Amino acid sequence: MHIELITIILFAFLILILITGLPLAFGMGGVAALIVLILQGPKALSILSGVTYGVMDNFILTAIPLFIFMGLILQHSGVADDAYEMMYKWIGGIKGGLAIGTVIVCTIFAACTGISGAATVTMGVIALPAMLKYNYHKSIAVGCISAGGALGILIPPSVLMIVYGVFSGESIGKLYAGGVFPGLLLAGLFIIYIAIRCYFQPQLGPPIPVKERANWREKFISLRAVILPIVLIIIVLGTIFNGVCTPTEAAAIGCAGSLICAAIHRKLNWKLLKNACYEGLRLSCMVVWIIIGGSCFASLYTYVGALEFIKGLVAALPISPYLIIAGMQVSLFILGCLMDPGGIVMITIPIFVPIIKMLGFDPVWFGVLFIVNMEMAYLTPPFGFNLFYMKAIVPKNITMMDIYKSIVPFVCLQACCLIICILFPKIILWLPQILIK
Amino acid sequence: MNSLLFLIDEISKWTGRVVSFLIVILTFLICYEVIARYLLNRPTIWVHESSSMLFGAYIILGGAYTLYMGGHVNMDVVYGRLLPKKKALIDVFTFWIFLLFCGSLIWMGGDSAWRSLKNFEHSGSLWNPPIYPFKLVLPLGVFLLFLQGLAKFIRDLMVIFKERL
Repeated sequence: MHIELITIILFAFLILILITGLPLAFGMGGVAALIVLILQGPKALSILSGVTYGVMDNFILTAIPLFIFMGLILQHSGVADDAYEMMYKWIGGIKGGLAIGTVIVCTIFAACTGISGAATVTMGVIALPAMLKYNYHKSIAVGCISAGGALGILIPPSVLMIVYGVFSGESIGKLYAGGVFPGLLLAGLFIIYIAIRCYFQPQLGPPIPVKERANWREKFISLRAVILPIVLIIIVLGTIFNGVCTPTEAAAIGCAGSLICAAIHRKLNWKLLKNACYEGLRLSCMVVWIIIGGSCFASLYTYVGALEFIKGLVAALPISPYLIIAGMQVSLFILGCLMDPGGIVMITIPIFVPIIKMLGFDPVWFGVLFIVNMEMAYLTPPFGFNLFYMKAIVPKNITMMDIYKSIVPFVCLQACCLIICILFPKIILWLPQILIK
Repeated sequence: MNSLLFLIDEISKWTGRVVSFLIVILTFLICYEVIARYLLNRPTIWVHESSSMLFGAYIILGGAYTLYMGGHVNMDVVYGRLLPKKKALIDVFTFWIFLLFCGSLIWMGGDSAWRSLKNFEHSGSLWNPPIYPFKLVLPLGVFLLFLQGLAKFIRDLMVIFKERL
C-alpha cells in the first residue's frame, strides 16, 4: 500500500473510532493494534507491550500522579480558604475586587499544583458563593473562576508540560521556566479586563459595603495566609529550577509539603487522605492510560512512515513558516474544542515537533505556545473540563448556557496571550535561557 | 449473571482502593531519596528504580478501577447526545476494538512476563532487583481491565435485549 493511503486511513479510522465514544486511551491503542495486525501480522503486536512497559517504568512520568495527588491534598487543605479571605480583606473594597482576588488566588494555586481541576473546584466552592452573595454578575463570577483555574497547566508545575516534555524530548525544567511569564501575562490580562469592565459597569462587580471592610490590623494579620503556599512554591519550583531535584523528586516533596499544610490547618484526617488517594488514582490513570494508548498510536507514525510523509508534505508547501505555526495553532484550537488535552498531545506532538525543528523554531517555545493554546481547550465547548467542573458546582439558577457565555471574553484574552507570545518569543524564552544552563 | 457483574465490580473497586495508596508510599520513598542524598550524603541505589516500577503497577492495576468509575475520558460530542439504547448498540461494536487492545497487551505482555519468569530475569542495574513481578503486572492489570470492559459489554447487551422483549 502507498504511504499516502495508509496515512489517510490511519487518521480517518482514528477519528471514526473516537467519534463512537470509545475512551481515548482504548480508541488510540485499539486502532494501533488493528493496523499493526493488518500490516505485519500478530507477532508484531509485541510493539504494543514494549511501548507500554516503556511508559510503566518511566521515572519522569512518575511525577504525574504525584503532582495530581499534591493538588488534591491542597484542594482540601484549607490553604485556598485563607488566601481568599485575605484577598477579600485587601481588595474586596474595590470594584470587581473579589473577582480579581479570585484570579490572584488561582495564580498562586497554579504555582503550587499542576492540574486545572484543583483550583477550579476549590475556587468554585469558596469564591463563587462569596461573589454571588455580594451581587456580582454571574458572567464575571463564573468566568473568572473557569479561566483562572485553567492557569494551573500553564504556570509551573504542570502535568501537561510533563507529557509534552517526555514526548518531544525537551527538558521539563525549561518548559516550566518558559511557562512563568506567559502565565503571569495571562493572569494580568484577566485582572486588567475585570478591573476595566467593573470600573465602567460597577453593577457587574460592586465593591463590598464600607462597614464590612477590614481595618489595617486585620489586613496585615490575614497576610500570613500566603506564607505556606509561598514556601511550598519556593521549595518545589526552586529545586527544579536550580537543578537540585528532578521534577519527580520535587513533586514528591510537594506532596509531603501539602500534607504538612493540611496538618497545620488541622484538616489532615483519614477521610481526606482516603478521598485524595481514590480521586488521585482515577485522575492519574485517566492521564497515563491516554499516554499508553497514545504512545501505541504514535509508534505507528514512524512504523508506517507517516511522519516522513507529512514532513515532506509540509516542507514542500510554498508558504511562510509562520503561516504553518498559525495553521498548527488553529488546528490545535479546533481539537481543543472536541478533545482532552492529553489526547491532543499524544496525537499531534509526535508530528508537530519534528516539523517545528525542521523549520528552525525552538521546541521549548512551541511547547509553551501549545500549553497556552490548551488553556483555551479547558474552556471551549462542547468538550472543556473546566465547564464540566463548573456545572457540577454552580447553583441551579446558573445554566450551562450562562457558563458558555461567561467564558467568551476570557477565551478571547487567552487568544490574545497566544498571539503576543508568538509575536514576542522572548516572553517565553528569556527565563529558561537565564535559569537553566 | 448479576452476581458475576457484581463480583467484577467489587474486584475492580477493591484493587483500585488498595492500589491507590501506593501514591503515599511513592511520596515517602522519593522524599527519603532526596533526604538521603542531600542531608545524609548517601544517595540510594534503589529508590529511582523501585519508584518507577511502583508507578507502573499503580497505573496498570488502577485501569480497571478507573473504567469502573467512568474515569476514562471520551469524545462525547456525538455520543453524549444519544439515547441509552443507541449508546449501548455502539458500545457493543466498539468493544471489539477495546478487546483487541487488551488482548494484544495480555498476550504479548504475558509472553514477555513468562520469558522473564522462566529465566528469573533481573534488571541488570547496580541494585539488580528481580524484574518478573513487574513484568507480570501488565498482563494481570490489563486482564482486570478486560473483565471490567466485559461487564460493561454484558450490561450493554442486557440494555439492548431488554428493550426488545
